[in-house]
Amino acid sequence: MLEIKALHASINGIEILKGLNLTVKPGEVHAIMGPNGAGKSTLASVLAGKEDYEITSGEIVFVGKDLLELSVEERAREGVFLAFQYPVEIPGVSNVNFLKTAMNEIREHRGLPALSAKEFLSLVKEKSALVELDASLASRAVNEGFSGGEKKRNEIFQMAMLEPKLAVLDETDSGLDIDALRIVAQGVNTLKTSDNATLVITHYQRLLDYIVPDYVHVLFDGKIVKTGGKELALELEEKGYDWIKS
Amino acid sequence: MSENLVAFEHQLGTTSLSMPELLTKEAKEGIARQASFPTTRDEPWKYTRLARVAGLTVAPIAFKGAPALLKGMETIDVIFEKGTWWCSAAVEGLTLQSANEISPESWQACTTKGHVQHLNTLTAQGGIGITIAAGTTIQQPVRIIHRCSGAQGAMVLHHQIKVEDRAHVRIELIFEGEAEQAYSNVLTDFFVGKEAQVHVDKWQNTQGAHYGFYNERIYQERQSTFRMQTITANTHFTRNDVEVFSQGEAAHTQLYGAFFGRGQQLIDNHTYVHHMAPHGTSDENYKGVLWDKATGVFNGKVKVYQDAQKINAYQSNKNLLLSSAASMNAKPELEIYADDVKCSHGSTTGQLDAQALFYLQARGISKAKATEMLVGAFCAEVFEAVHSEYIQTAIAEHLTL
Repeated sequence: MLEIKALHASINGIEILKGLNLTVKPGEVHAIMGPNGAGKSTLASVLAGKEDYEITSGEIVFVGKDLLELSVEERAREGVFLAFQYPVEIPGVSNVNFLKTAMNEIREHRGLPALSAKEFLSLVKEKSALVELDASLASRAVNEGFSGGEKKRNEIFQMAMLEPKLAVLDETDSGLDIDALRIVAQGVNTLKTSDNATLVITHYQRLLDYIVPDYVHVLFDGKIVKTGGKELALELEEKGYDWIKS
Repeated sequence: MSENLVAFEHQLGTTSLSMPELLTKEAKEGIARQASFPTTRDEPWKYTRLARVAGLTVAPIAFKGAPALLKGMETIDVIFEKGTWWCSAAVEGLTLQSANEISPESWQACTTKGHVQHLNTLTAQGGIGITIAAGTTIQQPVRIIHRCSGAQGAMVLHHQIKVEDRAHVRIELIFEGEAEQAYSNVLTDFFVGKEAQVHVDKWQNTQGAHYGFYNERIYQERQSTFRMQTITANTHFTRNDVEVFSQGEAAHTQLYGAFFGRGQQLIDNHTYVHHMAPHGTSDENYKGVLWDKATGVFNGKVKVYQDAQKINAYQSNKNLLLSSAASMNAKPELEIYADDVKCSHGSTTGQLDAQALFYLQARGISKAKATEMLVGAFCAEVFEAVHSEYIQTAIAEHLTL
């Protein structure tokens, strides 16, 4: 589904990713762990298509397409979903209106008819229940005045609505208490199918107690330096990142 | 410097309105004194060049005689188009007459200031006089539509709207049409009686090389409310001057505006609120969005007179530049002669929030659509104040790229 080959990316002339390789198949959950500054969030931003980053070499193939040739919105329509580490507050744009526009643009891209108001609302009801998001939040402005936990749950709610092929969770656990963490993880697990894949980017092992990965990769200094099963996360937790560095 | 203003006045002909002699004299002297169009060295025209206007060759479009009757409308419409004008029948509490029929005495409260008003005083070729009787609430909106079309026409009109004590009315001022090398100069005087309430939605969407000058003068009595929303979209050249004389105690004025400039369009909004009596409030909120090489101007002046204590005047102007070649000139001016007043103003000019744009795009929304959503959100406060369905629909159409 996703194949990243020898990817080099830099921002403001500073190289962050230095030859990253990663292969993700449908139905798999991959965790990317690593110390601060290793390039975890850069990888997430590059996948989503943030323009601040310059790809100096390498390639990303996503379901047979050259991802780097696609615009931000085209990637989303093809099925890439980034759950933001810091979801953006957008005053004046209602959550519902935003999601409806997004869904219909994605559906149009996939050759599906636009949803009726009724279909859309029943979907909102169903999916917001999944992450225990108060339905009243749906009518508020995007993320405006949401608590940290509400913002993260709103990300997973959007993911549930948009049904991506590849979900990239960028430090979704940061700033979450244990209850919110459980709810978010449960949402992600419910959405898992044999056709989609999840990339969990995290600093801590904690989230992986709830979202159990098939593979754990250690990202260090812009490269994946170690790959293992879920037990690698526990080993990292125990020994710390210094263990990798040495 | 050539006497291009004098020449310009000549081609507009002589007004068909009966203006008070004093006013005519003042305007004549004003034109003679100025002789030529103001330049960017003149403060009120600092950012707005008039050379193209001065070079126009135009013929006046006259609206003489009685209007043709419009029937079966849900709104009370007055339409000015190609030298013909139409008008709905009067309803109870509302009278309509041609501005040509208005007596000189009725204009006596007015003054004339600056070349645009002088030209209007001397050359207006029609207009509508509307009176709302004391204590009446007019249910239907009154819609005054201006459609300047064709080439090299000059539409110079002077309207008078008298809203008597405790009367309520909603008015729509609409400027449309497709015209080339055309000139518009529309002056509207609002006399707002004690405790009267007037809501005006103004929509400017003229196609072609059309140079539009629009003046609204508002004379407010005690405890009256005047609200006006000016939405300008897709006009080649627009200069709005809104001047409020808040003469009675505790009058409230709201002036909102949103303007959208593309290509090389110029939109210049000048407001001037005179707080002449105590306990008055004014609330100004203008939003500008400029693309391409468009230019915007906002000049908001507030003057608080010596005896006008306990005034609360608020002014905000925020602008979005969607291209590096677009430019915005914002200037607040406060002149305060009373000591117990609250006046605040703020102006910002910036770009679209890149993070918000990325967030929307990352959910599959195109850049154009995301921009449209963010522009809509940026102007939401102003759009929500617009009551006219006609204008609401027009705004939505305009902003859908």
